[in-house]
Amino acid sequence: MKLCKPDLYKLSDDGRTMLLRAARCSRCGGLSFPAANYGCPLCGAGPECCSEEALSGEARLLEFITIHGKVAPGITPPIVVGEAELAPGIIEEIELAVPEEALTLDMIVQAVPIPIERDEESVLACRFIPKGAL
Amino acid sequence: MPVTLRELRPVHVIGVGMHRYQFPSETPYIHMGLTALRAALTDAGLEFQAIESAHVGTTGCGMAAGRVMFRHIGSTGLAVQQIENASASGSFAFANACLEVASGVRDVALAIGVDKYGDQKRAVTKEGINRLSDTASVPLVKYALLCRTLAREKGLSAEDLARVGWKNHNNASTNPFAQFQKPRTLEQVLNSTRVAGDLTSLQCTPRGEGAAAAIVVSDDAMRSFGLNAARAVRVLSSTAGSETLPQGREPGSVIAARDVALRTYREAGITAQDLDVVELHDAFSIEEILYTEAFGLCPEGHGHHYLREGRSAIGGECAVNSSGGLIAQGHPLGPTGVGQIHEIVRQLRGENGDRQQANARIGMAHMIGLGSVAIAHVLRKD
Repeated sequence: MKLCKPDLYKLSDDGRTMLLRAARCSRCGGLSFPAANYGCPLCGAGPECCSEEALSGEARLLEFITIHGKVAPGITPPIVVGEAELAPGIIEEIELAVPEEALTLDMIVQAVPIPIERDEESVLACRFIPKGAL
Repeated sequence: MPVTLRELRPVHVIGVGMHRYQFPSETPYIHMGLTALRAALTDAGLEFQAIESAHVGTTGCGMAAGRVMFRHIGSTGLAVQQIENASASGSFAFANACLEVASGVRDVALAIGVDKYGDQKRAVTKEGINRLSDTASVPLVKYALLCRTLAREKGLSAEDLARVGWKNHNNASTNPFAQFQKPRTLEQVLNSTRVAGDLTSLQCTPRGEGAAAAIVVSDDAMRSFGLNAARAVRVLSSTAGSETLPQGREPGSVIAARDVALRTYREAGITAQDLDVVELHDAFSIEEILYTEAFGLCPEGHGHHYLREGRSAIGGECAVNSSGGLIAQGHPLGPTGVGQIHEIVRQLRGENGDRQQANARIGMAHMIGLGSVAIAHVLRKD
C-alpha cells in the first residue's frame, strides 16, 4: 500500500512503525522537521547543506484535544490531534489513532502506519498511538 | 537610524465609513466598497477628487479590485495599490496610506478594505511540504490546544473562554455595522456548537464580507480643504513584524503580537496604561485573553481575571473590542483592520453612542494575519 505523505515518513524495516524524515544542517548542526528542499529553516543555509536524518517516530505527547467540526478539507471529525515533541525542540501537531480517554500528558506515543481512504484510494497514513499499545 | 511615524509629518484620520459586515451574499463588492467610501468622504467633508492615492486591502475580490470599483465614483487618475496580507490586509493598507502622508508623498490618502468570501486559497498549500496533521495550518486548532494547556496550568475555565464571546456579542448587539447584532447569554455561548476542544462556535469568528474605509490627511490638507480639525484623530505610530523561530509552545503569533505592541507603544510615546480603547484580533476567544496579557493591559497569566472583573468591558479600564471584535462585528479579512480604525476613531471622537467608552483619548488597533504577521497602530485625539 502506498504511503499517504511519503515526503514526511517511511516504514521501518519491520513495517510496524513509521520513521520520520527530518533534516540535519551541516552548517549549524540543527535538526528540522519536516525536511524541505529549500534550505535550513534554523540558519538559512542552502539546501546543499541539509541531509536527511530519520527519527524513530517516538514522541512525547504535550497536549491533545478532539476536533468536532470540519475545520479543514480532508478530515472527517471527530478526530483527535495533539502536539508532540518529536525530538528535542521539535514540536509538531500530530493525529492520534486513539480516543482522548486513552491518552495522558507526557506519555510516549509512537508513529505507526494506519490504512485510510484518501482520494478514493487506500493509503497508509502516519498516526500516533501510545507506545505501550504497540 | 530609521525614523518612526511620529517623527515625520503628522497624519490625521479625518473620515471613516463602513458597509455592514454580513454573511456571504450576492451583494457586489463594488456596492459594499463604495458604500464605505462614500460614508468616509461624507464624514471627512471631502470629495473623491481630493483623494490622491488608494490602498485597497482585499483577499477574495481578485486582481485589480480597486480600479474596477473606483471607476464607478470617478476616474480621477489617483494612484491605486492593492494589498493582500490575509487577515491583516486592511491594516497594511492603512499603514501604507499613513506612511505616504507622513513622508510627504501625498496629502490625502485612502485606505479601504473590501472583501467577498473568496476561495481562501493559502500560499502554504503551495509550499510543497506536507504536515503530519491535516489541521496543522489551521490556527483554530493551535488555539484550541493552547486552551487545554492554559486550563490546566492557569485555571482557565470553559466559562472564562465563553465570557469573551459573551462580552463581544453583547458589544456588537448595538453596533449597526456588526455581522451579529444579537445579545447572547453566557450559557448560549457555552452551549453553542462545539468546534474544537473547548471552543464553541460563538467563540469563533464567522465567515463574512463587507467594507471599511479611512481617509488620512496631512496638516497642509487640513488647511487647504478647510477640514474640521476638531474631528481629526492623529495616528501616532504604525508598527509591523512577523513571527520569529518558535521557542517552546507559546504560539509564534502571540510572540509577534507582543513584540509589535511594545514597539508601537515606544514609537507612540505611550504605555499600555494610557490606552482607553483597543481593537484586537479575537478570531478565537482565547486570543483576546492572551493578547490582553501580551499587550501589558494586565499581568501575564491574569487575562481571564481581567476579563472576569469587567476591566476590558465598555466602562472598564480599557474597552477591548467595543465593536464586538472579530467574533461578533465580524472578520471579512480585507476590511477588518480598517474596521478597527473606524471603531477607534468614533470612540476617540466621542461618537460611539451606546458603546462609547467615557473620555476615550488614546486607542490601539492591533491585527494578526496568517503567517503570522502582526501590525499595530496607536491613535490619539488631541
